[in-house]
Amino acid sequence: MRMHTARLWPLPFLLLSLGSSLSGPAHAQDVDAVRQELGAVRRQLDSIREQYEKRLRELTDRLEQLETQRQAGPAPSPGPASTAPAPAQAVPLTAAATTPTAGEPSLREMLSPRQPFALAQPGRTLLFDIGVSGDFVTDLTSRTRERRRDGTFAGRENRVFPREIELGLFGRVDPYASAVVRLSAGEEPAGLEPSDRSVTVQVDEANLTLLALPLGTTARLGVMRPRFGTLNVVHQDDLPQIDRPNVLSRFFGEEQLDGEKGIEAFWVLPLPVYNELSIGVFDGDNEVAFGRGTLRDPLVIGRWRTFFELEEQGGLQIDLSAASGIATDAHRTTVLGLGAKYKWAAPGSGFPLFTLAGEALYAMRTVTAEGDDITPPRDRRFDRWGGYLYGQWDFNRRWAVGLRGDWTELAVDRGREWAVSPYLQFKPSEFLRFRVQYKHTEGTGAVERVANEVFLQGTFILGAHPTERF
Amino acid sequence: MRPLRRVRAILAFAVALAGGLLLALPTPEPAAEPPLRVLATLPDLWSITRAIVGDLGRVEVATRPGQNPHDLEIRPSQILLVKRAEILVRNGLEEDAWIDPVVESSGNPRLLRGSTSVIEASQGLELLKIPSGRVDRSVGDVHPSGNPHFTLDPGTMPTVSASIVQGLARLRPDLGARLEANRREFLTRVEARFQRWRETLAPYRGARVVSYHDSWPYFYRAYGLIELGQVEDRPGVPPTPQHLVSLVRQMKEQGARVVVLESWYPPDTAAAVARLAGAKLVVIPQSPGAVPGTSDYIDHMDHVVTALAKALAGP
Repeated sequence: MRMHTARLWPLPFLLLSLGSSLSGPAHAQDVDAVRQELGAVRRQLDSIREQYEKRLRELTDRLEQLETQRQAGPAPSPGPASTAPAPAQAVPLTAAATTPTAGEPSLREMLSPRQPFALAQPGRTLLFDIGVSGDFVTDLTSRTRERRRDGTFAGRENRVFPREIELGLFGRVDPYASAVVRLSAGEEPAGLEPSDRSVTVQVDEANLTLLALPLGTTARLGVMRPRFGTLNVVHQDDLPQIDRPNVLSRFFGEEQLDGEKGIEAFWVLPLPVYNELSIGVFDGDNEVAFGRGTLRDPLVIGRWRTFFELEEQGGLQIDLSAASGIATDAHRTTVLGLGAKYKWAAPGSGFPLFTLAGEALYAMRTVTAEGDDITPPRDRRFDRWGGYLYGQWDFNRRWAVGLRGDWTELAVDRGREWAVSPYLQFKPSEFLRFRVQYKHTEGTGAVERVANEVFLQGTFILGAHPTERF
Repeated sequence: MRPLRRVRAILAFAVALAGGLLLALPTPEPAAEPPLRVLATLPDLWSITRAIVGDLGRVEVATRPGQNPHDLEIRPSQILLVKRAEILVRNGLEEDAWIDPVVESSGNPRLLRGSTSVIEASQGLELLKIPSGRVDRSVGDVHPSGNPHFTLDPGTMPTVSASIVQGLARLRPDLGARLEANRREFLTRVEARFQRWRETLAPYRGARVVSYHDSWPYFYRAYGLIELGQVEDRPGVPPTPQHLVSLVRQMKEQGARVVVLESWYPPDTAAAVARLAGAKLVVIPQSPGAVPGTSDYIDHMDHVVTALAKALAGP
């Protein structure tokens, strides 16, 4: 504001001096000079007006020409109107067969000024894709499970809660790179009291993919879901069942390996059968398995994935993964994974569709066992494994039923659990889905319990959503 | 015992990895690599491109004949096809937008959208059914840039084939003359048949037909048929009973005799509509190759025109 005032202070003096000059002795000469200048400006304006009128006439002629050509062209499209449309003119196809030279601009076109590349033109947008998904879940179970807070969605039993509201932004950065940003918010238990809940907003993904690196390399950099196993790369709202399989939750936590920061590269090998190799180096922020959080003790993840296209008989995908990093207690954890997925779809409509998939994980952890008066603290190795298998039958694009079986040891504590979960899915459209799932779990050791739960889920997608993958 | 168990696990992992790689051992490649390696996203573009390329190269297709491109999921085998190709022929108009993530996963930057190696077949066409006003999911799974099923009108072949030749010749100018010759030969064959197809359907010009999905506006334009309505009142969304009742009433009032169903959609609803309206249901594959002996564009169109003419002719 001060600068603005400072810039305006000479204005009154200028006006005063102008007034004084007009009333001075040189007034007559100045009036002539101003008249001459006004005449010159008027002539320039006339010239510009003539040029514009000429240009307007040219454009009008051009428009009339185009209208005439259009009327002589193909008939308009038939709509639901009752008048019979004229079929396309029987102009010989070979007569109109000259390859257009639209892609070869003339010298005049090349020399003509153009809109800057980055400006959006009317009717076009220069924008990335935006999508929002909402995933609401209910875990109905007994009062005991609710009191002990040991249901599948611990601390949120017998509630309708937003598991994940996700805002996804994705698109091309430039001709050589793409990027994705996903922010999510979901309800999580915050404390020991049933009322202690909070909605946490977090960055699920924010990464850049470099698409044009040498040797067919593609690399991702930033926050991401690493390529480990079959289901880790699948978002919450795209999971085949409402909950993640027990083995993944027990070994990595409810959201599995999510939000890891680092770099990952992958290659599709030039072989007749699909083979993809990937390797990633991450900080290691998983609170259950790899929580060191520093590149001095990085989490290293590798995966090999192959796919057999069986045409009418379906497709089979197999993956082998390994993840190794340092846990919060400074001990190394290594997890090996083997996954397989088979899908068969009826020819034509693609329905019915049958899916059979499973994963087995083997974890090797070292934990320092507490000592007592006689025995000093010592490191103990825990080798644990677990797996899941599910089958799903999609009757049509709306309805599907499935059954999943889980068996897993606990990652560190003594104990194991098994579960069976039948489920039903209804998709009114591609962007809306409802599910109901019953889950019976029996555990021994540290998870001694019998739990019966019914999950309800409603998921919607607004706007853009990436195409589903095999 | 513990170290032994760990060694066993690592050994098992290594054996499984080696086994997998052995399964994927390369089979002997053909001795001479074809000069052009083209990938088309959809079977109709594949058949057209194949006619143009002829023996100058190999043309592969990313989707199976008869597969609904609206319900597609990305398969790793498609990534491999993209990896091998040097030129991509795509439809555009959001019909094959799924190819973008496939290309981005392939490590083949030549086929990224916007590259000179990517040919968009819809370029330069006069498009139908470009929605106006507000476009969102309340109107179904619409194509905001216009209806993408233009290859069903043989009249679009000069422009479509010209775009393909132009794109191929841009990368391989040495093959330009031969590609253009192939194209002219293809257009001559299409023209001859197009005349016959027009004659076949000429008696039914102005006839009212109902489609299951909005796949046929270009086809109807080519032959002067009138689309009375669609069983799907909004693309990709199951019809409401009210819509079906209204459609059946309209069909009876205006004498619609045929319901056209694309072979990849379930027949139940369309069959019920046809039965209630006293019309005939005709199931037609929308893309070449879905029926044996129709992998060629001309054979496919022959099949479509013959099936529709037979249905329109009545019992």
